[in-house]
Amino acid sequence: MLLAWCVSALAQVGTAARPDISGYWELRFDSFNVPRASLTPAAQGALEMRRAKDQEAIRGCVNVGVPAVMDDRGVLDIRQSPAVIGMVARSPSSTRYVYTDGRKHPDAEELEGTTNGHSIGRWQGDTLVVDTVGFNERGITAIPGGGYRTSRAHLTELYKLAVSGDQLTVTFTWTDPTVFRTPHSYTFRYYKVPAVPEPRVLNCIQNDADRARFLTERPAPARF
Amino acid sequence: MTIRAIAASVMASLLLIAPAARAQEKKGTGPVPEMSGLWLVQDPGSGSWTEWFDNVPKPKLQPDIIADNQRMAASEAAGNVVNRAPRTAACPIGNLPMMMASSPPINIVASRDEVLMGSESNRGRFVYTDGRPHRDVKAPSYVPTGFGDSIGHWEGDTLVVDTIGFAPRVCDSRRPVMLVPGGGRAKDTTHLVERYRLVGPDELSVTFTWEDSTVFLAPHTYSYTYKRLPEGIPIENNEEPAAAQPDRQYTTTKAEK
Repeated sequence: MLLAWCVSALAQVGTAARPDISGYWELRFDSFNVPRASLTPAAQGALEMRRAKDQEAIRGCVNVGVPAVMDDRGVLDIRQSPAVIGMVARSPSSTRYVYTDGRKHPDAEELEGTTNGHSIGRWQGDTLVVDTVGFNERGITAIPGGGYRTSRAHLTELYKLAVSGDQLTVTFTWTDPTVFRTPHSYTFRYYKVPAVPEPRVLNCIQNDADRARFLTERPAPARF
Repeated sequence: MTIRAIAASVMASLLLIAPAARAQEKKGTGPVPEMSGLWLVQDPGSGSWTEWFDNVPKPKLQPDIIADNQRMAASEAAGNVVNRAPRTAACPIGNLPMMMASSPPINIVASRDEVLMGSESNRGRFVYTDGRPHRDVKAPSYVPTGFGDSIGHWEGDTLVVDTIGFAPRVCDSRRPVMLVPGGGRAKDTTHLVERYRLVGPDELSVTFTWEDSTVFLAPHTYSYTYKRLPEGIPIENNEEPAAAQPDRQYTTTKAEK
């Protein structure tokens, strides 16, 4: 018992000197580097159905989930403690938690799928590596560059501060044999913004068709 | 040095550094307790939500609040147990007293400048600990919520959270007002002070003190104990949209208009 507590304490000591990615972060016009995903024929054929499902979720104010919370055009609030990192987006969504206390993913049979999935993180030098499984297929499932989130999806993210902590780059890599022929990777660059006074919460109104259309009809992302 | 001596030395070193490891530096203060984690409120076995919610010292209430409580009780006794107020953009999100009393665990992320508190209700509270003052909650630009505007500071090992700016009414709970345990109200004139303190490695005490001269004749104070769930998994409220659940449509009963 004592030994376990000491090991836990030591693990937390290890996190003390890690970069702190806490802050308010926003995406800008040059924040995206998103290649087209290589989709399976089945996924290609399901895109329209998925798109309609996403629109229905937006109309119903269902939690948008990952990856949409990371793609939110509002300010993303990231808060880091020694054992867990919380992420709050403006769109209707649950707070996303990334556990950095050394825990593993729960057994699959214990893990009820959520829109954000179950995320665990570890530091490799100055890079936070986040591993997420346990998704469901609710919310906005569209993945930047093509494809969609399913319960079989596996997401790996690499978080790294840049420009003296004023920027945060996140490289996302999705694997899902039902959707992608090869792992699909893209990078977002977030800019740090000063403290914002408002809790940045969107009060969603159900059945807002205009909002659903606006959020699902995007121009092709620019590359930087 | 024998293996046993080395092991003892390592253990002693760990014991020395461990307390610091369980804490983190906050701006302008020394190390403070690490409160991050998933916390489950401890119901002593009341058996029902109402009994649990009212299982606090009885507040001294203003006569019109007592009358309003009696009116709501009569309405519910007559079968009006569903708040059918339409959900609109004017509906404030959140319900702080209900969230802090509810069985879904509170997920706390305590960073240096801000403390997040999330729960099953998806949206969570933001407690700013970066030294900022309250927002001008009387300004037209302020959008009140059921969570209010919270700022916090550390007094030794205690996180003191000060909240104002609650919404005057709510429309997504069973009643059109935000109830405080014991029968009070949280609204635009209400001031709440919470004191968070670890009373054990896995036990968190929160003392709530509500003040509002339009509701209470004296400050109303009670405490909850929360137990840490080390391997707990956050719950997500996966309700279907109201449109898909006709029996969950919200409209206002005659008595509540």
